[in-house]
Amino acid sequence: MAETYPINIWINEERFEKLKAANLADMAVDRLGGMKVIQVQCTEKQKDKILKLFPMAKFDTATTKSIELLPREVKDKIFDITLKLKSIGPEVMDEFLKSLD
Amino acid sequence: MTDFIGHGEKEIKERILNPGEAKNKIKNLVSVEISGRIARECIDLGYGFFTPLEGFMKKADVDSVCKKMSLADGTIWPIPIVFDISSQEVSEKGIRVGDVILLTRMGNPLAVLEVEEIFTYDKDEMAQAVLGTIDAKHPGVRMIGRMQDTFIGGKVTLVNEPQFNPPFDRFFYTPRQLREEFKKRGWVRIVAHQTRNVPHTGHEWLMKGAWFCAHGEAPVIGDKDEIKLGTGVLVNCIIGPKRTGDYIDEAIVLAHQALHEGRYFRDDVHMVSITCWDMRYAGPKEAIFHAILRTNLGCTHHMFGRDHAGVGDYYGTYDAHRIFDQLPPGSLNIKPVRVLEWWYCPLCGEVTYSGLCGHTKERQKFSGTLIRSIIKDGVKPTRIIMRPEVFDVVMECAERYGFGSPFCTEEYLAKRGPVFVVPPLD
Repeated sequence: MAETYPINIWINEERFEKLKAANLADMAVDRLGGMKVIQVQCTEKQKDKILKLFPMAKFDTATTKSIELLPREVKDKIFDITLKLKSIGPEVMDEFLKSLD
Repeated sequence: MTDFIGHGEKEIKERILNPGEAKNKIKNLVSVEISGRIARECIDLGYGFFTPLEGFMKKADVDSVCKKMSLADGTIWPIPIVFDISSQEVSEKGIRVGDVILLTRMGNPLAVLEVEEIFTYDKDEMAQAVLGTIDAKHPGVRMIGRMQDTFIGGKVTLVNEPQFNPPFDRFFYTPRQLREEFKKRGWVRIVAHQTRNVPHTGHEWLMKGAWFCAHGEAPVIGDKDEIKLGTGVLVNCIIGPKRTGDYIDEAIVLAHQALHEGRYFRDDVHMVSITCWDMRYAGPKEAIFHAILRTNLGCTHHMFGRDHAGVGDYYGTYDAHRIFDQLPPGSLNIKPVRVLEWWYCPLCGEVTYSGLCGHTKERQKFSGTLIRSIIKDGVKPTRIIMRPEVFDVVMECAERYGFGSPFCTEEYLAKRGPVFVVPPLD
């Protein structure tokens, strides 16, 4: 299977309530000191496109191997698509990228 | 006098003229408008942050720093401190050796420079020697590359003291003021924590661990509720140029102060301060520079963590630790406290030291990027990751100073209030 690269969406109470309501609370995993996160996966191609579209974002090669520092509004949108598709797979990013076209 | 001995066993002297003298001194001088970096370095030179330097380096010192990591007289010094100017401006203004020129910032007089030498130096050679690379992706290389083609060496004297604006004003201390402050607090051992970050608990424990190392075998003074420790942590925030995505300066300084006010450190063991300095990201050599700087501030110890003052993968993770072993004994009057990282371990249930915790598979490393990502999402971290008082202050700073963001944006960089101003010399 091709390698994927996560986007970390940190879960606050509001996001957690939405996950619970969609029966998706299990998607949230403990990541750092009890912080909950969902990790939406990107393919290499999606990763490159995201980094090009959002130059302030960063692929953290040193520690987390994840795409970080995306604007909050972008994360909100990705989170909404996650709820809609009930998935954290690359199809979420497909739909997100399509919405930008 | 012994309270004010700095690096190289030289006394920390302030080179500042009083306003009356200053007005006479600057009459009829040729003036040169200076960059932000030069202004910050004039301030540092004037107050003695760079002791034993009294001014910008002449060629013999620059050459010796590049080739031997010492001044021409043999005193350890790793980074050239230079005044750059275009040959065109030198020629147009008729600047010659023996002149005194007035340095202005935003049109107002800041300092005078005694022109002792005008010279050129190969900038690639300087970058290679100091930074170990001439790769233009390295921010220090870019900084040197942006310098003008000519250098002036000579003594600097402030003719007008900068005024620091809130919230920075209460954190700015000159080296002499800091030493007096340490004396007042009864601190005998002071460990410096260099920072350009908002503190998460990994940073907090770096400071606490460094405090233990510095305090070491020192005796407890007093008894019961009156225990005095005589050892302190000096948080020294570096204030310099910013890039988009960095934490805003206000958040850095006030978040460190929030650790103090939240009483995660006792009042008598911790204080926050600022120093103006344009980071070169020179890794190990910058670590030595930081040690010298904090010697001049009166610190006895300096904490160095992983990848100190590094950038990208130009330096090894612990090169900044190892370089201290290459110095001749007695060449620095400060002890490096060399530490590994702290991480969160879910099995230990705490933030713990990577040099002690054996749960290497389970450990959860702090990553500056990850913490920024959490803050950017507007999600309040758990208190074991970031103290709630720190997070609250960071978000307040975003609203008050950061145009809605705790990170530097183009808008912040264009519109932010200045850290200090040079007022008109009335």
